[in-house]
Amino acid sequence: MPGIIDVSQLVKTYGDGTKAVKGITFSVSEGEFFGFLGPNGAGKSTTIKILTTLLQKTSGSASVAGLSVDSDAAKIRKIIGVQNQDTVVDEDLTGRENLILQGQLQQMHASAIKERVDDLLKIVDLVDAADKRAGFYSGGMKKRLDLATTLVHNPKILFLDEPTTGLDPQSRAAIWAYLKRLNEQGITIFITTQYLEEVDRLCRRLAIVDLGEIVAQGTPGELKQEIGADSISLGFENSTMNGSDTKTKARQVLENKFDGISNVVDSDIGLTVYAKNGSYMVPELVRAFDEANIRLSTIGVSSPTLDDVFLKHTGKRIRVEEVSSSNSRGMFGRRRR
Amino acid sequence: MKKLVRNPILVFFSLFQPIIFLLLFTQLFSNLGRFIGSGTLSYTTFATAGIVLQNAFSSAFQSGTAVVDDIKSGFLAKMLATPVNRSAILFGRLLSDVFRVVAQTVIILVLAFALGVYPATGIIGYLLVIFTVAFFGLAWSGISLALGLKTKSAETVFGIAGALTFPLLFMSTALVSQGFMPSWMQTVSNYNPISYAVNAIRVLIISGYDWSIILQAYGVIAGIGIVTLGATLYLFRKVVS
Repeated sequence: MPGIIDVSQLVKTYGDGTKAVKGITFSVSEGEFFGFLGPNGAGKSTTIKILTTLLQKTSGSASVAGLSVDSDAAKIRKIIGVQNQDTVVDEDLTGRENLILQGQLQQMHASAIKERVDDLLKIVDLVDAADKRAGFYSGGMKKRLDLATTLVHNPKILFLDEPTTGLDPQSRAAIWAYLKRLNEQGITIFITTQYLEEVDRLCRRLAIVDLGEIVAQGTPGELKQEIGADSISLGFENSTMNGSDTKTKARQVLENKFDGISNVVDSDIGLTVYAKNGSYMVPELVRAFDEANIRLSTIGVSSPTLDDVFLKHTGKRIRVEEVSSSNSRGMFGRRRR
Repeated sequence: MKKLVRNPILVFFSLFQPIIFLLLFTQLFSNLGRFIGSGTLSYTTFATAGIVLQNAFSSAFQSGTAVVDDIKSGFLAKMLATPVNRSAILFGRLLSDVFRVVAQTVIILVLAFALGVYPATGIIGYLLVIFTVAFFGLAWSGISLALGLKTKSAETVFGIAGALTFPLLFMSTALVSQGFMPSWMQTVSNYNPISYAVNAIRVLIISGYDWSIILQAYGVIAGIGIVTLGATLYLFRKVVS
């Protein structure tokens, strides 16, 4: 079945010889919330620009809603909403005027624009500020207004390039909540972002790109399962019991009573056990250790995160970037006070 | 358009220099006017044409920085992702620039009127002056638009504008008559398009419909316009594709 976005062997080589995209293939079905992840310079923005008809591809094929990005660009522009990495609102116009202008750019009828603008202001919670100039808006408000401008013409597909980068956690959560609602109303969402936890929660499927190639794609669950096992960390109350080493005894318990453990290693507090579906194993572990009179001080399960997936495929941790950027935001916040 | 109304400060400050010229420069040289060109007329009457054109000149250079701003801020990309016609984006830009220069010209002419300058050709003359300035502004903004699209750097446009303004203005008939210039500068001013536009506006203000001068100016402006706007259109196509 053809998807609403179909990309096959897409290549983009810039004039200076930079190969930004090296033959990627993927498909997004209608109504999907699709995440497109990758480190900086991976080719995410280039791909979005090609799909939104802002950039011409070098070779391969790409279609949006069955329309070719080369020959049907004008038709594609009518059914897509595009949010760029930068927030683009006209600061001299009010929120309402920004939306009306966008409606005019989308060649809508004046009456339809008016009605739609009122709705959108409600959707993004800007009714109170609607008639203030956007120049007076906070960063989060501008972003919400920008998002609303992409929705004026009821697009079928929304392309979002890092829509929440640089926002405070609260504004970020608000944007993601709007996106979730939009997706539930049937809009297909194609998004690039650095916030993996949100991707994990909201994206039905995702692709990870690195150096212009797709290195992994699937549902967040599938990708995390590829990583393999959950890790269960065990801490013991006493390092020795009845004269023998607790760890050794615990290992015996694990060996005798449990299947599906892929590895057991020593840790600072006791042992770390690697196993599939680790969380299901916890109650049995507690019971078994209790029977063997081994007292547990702590037990914790961590499942692989998308960050682990990202690390495995790109060799980079996306997290690092997020932490450092949120730190610098924190510093600004303090300085302003 | 709304943007301009909302930005009265921008309109005012870009008018600042022409107004200073109109109020101070003309007073400074009022006693010299006889020698440097105005003859028996007041120097203010003589210089109004030059000041109107100087304003159009610097105003036109703001177009280029504005287009750079549109590219850098992502506003152009946002417009390009809508079904709006590609050339409409460019024409909208030009139209708003023309509107701005017309508004500024009207303000200068009103001020000049307060200082006793009234065109010999009356109301129709006013309209023709405004038309000539708008026409010049349109053609001239092509230079800054092309520069902006080519270099994508507001600083470059600004720098080139600054470097061009005074030489071109002083080596034209904007502020002094040709007879006052050294001979090499007379030659330069003969090839300086500013002189032609100024002369057309000046005859409308001072003497009357001297069509040979007016049409010659339109010919020169049209020539510049075809080259600069042609280049702008070509570069714009390159940027948007």
